[in-house]
Amino acid sequence: MKKVLCFAAALCFMAAPAFAETIRIGLMAPMTGSWASEGQDMRDIVTLLAEELNAKGGVLGKRVEIVVEDDAGDPRAAALAAQRLATRNVAAVIGTYGSSVAEAAQNIYDDYDIIQVANGATSNRLTEKGLNFFFRTCPRNDEQAMVAANALKSMGFSKIAILHDNTSYARGLADDARKFIGEVSDAKVVFFNALTPGERDFNTVLTRMRASDPDVILFTGYYPEAGLLLRQKMEMGWDVPMMGGDATNNPDLVEIAGRQAASGFYFLSPPVPQDLPTDEARAFLAAFEKKYNKLPGSIWAVLAGDAFTAIVTAIEGAGSTDSKKVADYMRTRLKDMPALTGTISFNSVGDRIGDVYRVYQVNAEGAFVLMNP
Amino acid sequence: MNKNAFIISVLLAFFACFPVLFSNPYWIGVLNDIWLYAILGLSLNWIVGHTGLFNLGHAAYYAVGAYTAAILSTRYNIPILWLLPVAGAAAGLFALAVARPIIHLRGDYLAIVTIGVGEIVRIALENDIFGLTGGSNGIFGIPRPEIFDMRIRRPWQFYYLIGGFLLITIWFFYRLEQSRFGRALNYIKEDETAAEGSGINTAWYKLAAFVIGAVWAGMAGTLFAAKMTIISPGSFNFWESVLIFAIVILGGAGSIPGVILGAFLLVGLPEFFRNFADARMLFFGAAMVLMMIFRNKGLLPPLARKYAGVPRVKGGDA
Amino acid sequence: MDFFLQQLFNGLAVGGIYALVALGYTMVYGVMKLMNFAHGELFTMGAFLGLTLLGVFSFTEVLGPFGGIFVLILMVMGMVAIMGVLLERVAYRPLRNSPRLSAIVSALGASIFLQNAIMLMYGARFQVYPHGLLPNTPVSLFGVDIPLLRILLFLVSVFMMAGLYFFVQRTRIGTAIRAAAIDQDAARLMGINVDRVIQIVFIIGPALGAAAGVMVGIYYGQINFTMGWIFGLKAFTAAIIGGIGNIPGAMLGGLLLGVLETMGAAYISTAWKDAIAFGVLILILLVRPRGILGERVADKL
Repeated sequence: MKKVLCFAAALCFMAAPAFAETIRIGLMAPMTGSWASEGQDMRDIVTLLAEELNAKGGVLGKRVEIVVEDDAGDPRAAALAAQRLATRNVAAVIGTYGSSVAEAAQNIYDDYDIIQVANGATSNRLTEKGLNFFFRTCPRNDEQAMVAANALKSMGFSKIAILHDNTSYARGLADDARKFIGEVSDAKVVFFNALTPGERDFNTVLTRMRASDPDVILFTGYYPEAGLLLRQKMEMGWDVPMMGGDATNNPDLVEIAGRQAASGFYFLSPPVPQDLPTDEARAFLAAFEKKYNKLPGSIWAVLAGDAFTAIVTAIEGAGSTDSKKVADYMRTRLKDMPALTGTISFNSVGDRIGDVYRVYQVNAEGAFVLMNP
Repeated sequence: MNKNAFIISVLLAFFACFPVLFSNPYWIGVLNDIWLYAILGLSLNWIVGHTGLFNLGHAAYYAVGAYTAAILSTRYNIPILWLLPVAGAAAGLFALAVARPIIHLRGDYLAIVTIGVGEIVRIALENDIFGLTGGSNGIFGIPRPEIFDMRIRRPWQFYYLIGGFLLITIWFFYRLEQSRFGRALNYIKEDETAAEGSGINTAWYKLAAFVIGAVWAGMAGTLFAAKMTIISPGSFNFWESVLIFAIVILGGAGSIPGVILGAFLLVGLPEFFRNFADARMLFFGAAMVLMMIFRNKGLLPPLARKYAGVPRVKGGDA
Repeated sequence: MDFFLQQLFNGLAVGGIYALVALGYTMVYGVMKLMNFAHGELFTMGAFLGLTLLGVFSFTEVLGPFGGIFVLILMVMGMVAIMGVLLERVAYRPLRNSPRLSAIVSALGASIFLQNAIMLMYGARFQVYPHGLLPNTPVSLFGVDIPLLRILLFLVSVFMMAGLYFFVQRTRIGTAIRAAAIDQDAARLMGINVDRVIQIVFIIGPALGAAAGVMVGIYYGQINFTMGWIFGLKAFTAAIIGGIGNIPGAMLGGLLLGVLETMGAAYISTAWKDAIAFGVLILILLVRPRGILGERVADKL
């Protein structure tokens, strides 16, 4: 039996990468399930970037091929998707959306020495495990929470209601924000609780928040709920400012809330492509709209595009698809790489460096306006 | 030569050699999930298939087992496989406490209560109950299991670990089916009043069956925690209970080979449909309807019991 | 007191929608003893079809706000009723004489199929109903300001439920439905065409679900392909609590569930809302094992 097992093990290791004329890059994303819209946008963006790159001659003279696997937004499915990508000779993997989903795949990629660049996994602990091949283009929760705490302080709010939705992202952000608000200012958190994502009626939680009489609401969840909160807040005639985390950065927010209810809403986000002065970003948006007849929904999908750019730049720079060399390049030599959401550099644990966050406000026309450029 | 024995030996031999024949870790990973769900399905089969208790919240006991193992192994560094019985016991005790007052409810009313228990457990885990469960982030860094100094981490190693436990599960439930206890449960399922009249303490038997199923789900939870090394409440939602339930019914309630086949189809088919990309769950749903239409007692329904000397009555398997 | 009243109204508004969706569950269950898990998806379908029709024809401009929405809802109800009948024909009728649990798995399959079909047709993104279809000024009731639309939503739900109750209690078809619900074989012997009754049930149930879908779309504005799963689970719970198969029970169960979760969220914790609601419901079932208005009948799984 032992011999058999050794033989099996040997077979496993023999499935080592052997490229021909293409470089395969995996994309692990939720193509089905409740986060499918994010996953489908991620695929559209990465596919378009790969096409543009191939038209310009690819990387190291080779064509780049995108291999998409559905993780359904579920950790168990993500583990399988990661196994599957690991057997399909991918040089690196982009993805995924959701910290617990990305985390379920982390160890598998690490076992196979495959680089993983997450785009929507902000939980602090993901980069605190000493994994060599894990990177992310999205900033960490604590970074965003710090920006939120400072912004709330500079706006002079003293009674803050924090609302999250019990997803690991929103909860983590809410916890960090509560901590930092206590550290940077003497504002009080008068309300801290969660709503149930996916529901439609938030009058109950709004009524309850109103009873605690805050100056401002900090909502750390996602845009569908944020839009409904704004709308229902206006309907009940409650005029309190509200600030959202980067998961509320989505044009659909204004659609859902209506312009009147959305106007004045603050949110934190990495710069949206529309605000980038570079011609590349503008050209990319135009190409995206032309090809898919829509604009990218959320910032997370755009960050998947940046993950793609980081990977191919590092492969080009390292002159190889060897994971160790590419990872090393990303950590030490990839500095201020221009990308759709600004410049990208990684620190030694794989986190993105730099002040990424900006404060935006929705104006009366429903457009997102940068507040402190 | 006994035909069934032959088929079983061939299947056993094939699956024992599978990792050697096909070294693709992805397909081995898929089989690992299938084995895991087969174990869960068999544990629920004991409750739904044999006893006729309508349990749509099995993920709760699976979760209690997984979290017990995860908490004890990460906090006290206890090797996770030693925790199999502990996690099973925790799930069993929880089931005992929950099921005792509700076990007398009938059919759909029991269903909604079990759904409720499942949701309460998930929400409690999400809200970091007793400060132990890590909230929606769950618990990470669960140590890999070790057997005789061999660290289990590759899919093929888990294949033999989970597969081995599946064999124990099959053996256990097969023996239980043949026992006096199993026959009493079947009697309750077919006609509770008559069973009561024949001197069977139906409430006690139902409760015992429920607890046994929960214990086994708790042990499956331990294996899941060991395999994933990170668990979070999202893995134990209502859909998970529904999936396990569907495995039992689609395969054939009350039939061990049926449940295993059910796990193969319901866990394996979405993987086969990966090439349909966005539409893969569409095909999966359609396949579920079609399979039920064409095999409406389940794919491999249980055979009627045979007793020495008594000729089998046609259509006896109601 | 204001806080309590406000929350009570919040709960009744949510409960009204649960009740409306629960009616579809309970009617189908009453006659077929089937938990139609796909009902939530028919509700979603109603919401999406309503949006599509609004894009094709501007109902509110031509027919006035209330008349327009009324016609829109009727049209969507008709379309979804056809889907309901088709669903019964394809996924449930072949399983009429098989074990009950098999039909439930078929219903689950149909639910997964429909949900993904909606995703493939309309995309996975959230869709938004146009704003301001109906006037929505706040109305003062017992010293609490409530948006007019919220009151309307509640009144329409109550009106539909009352209509259904009247239909089932007072008309010939209603009597046939009740007879088939008690005993299909006996009903057949009395000359009732049970197939026909089942078809009617699959017209009414999905139509009511569709109406709820359009109303949710108009009131909350935002719809997506997974919405039916959450509303469906809640409505199913409501139907059982009221005593499944029982029409006033579904209304009562829906309203009760809405108020319970609202009060749990208002006075204990919003994060624990559903857990509190389920906890209380389990207690209710321990006291009333057949639901609040359920009758004592012998049944077997």
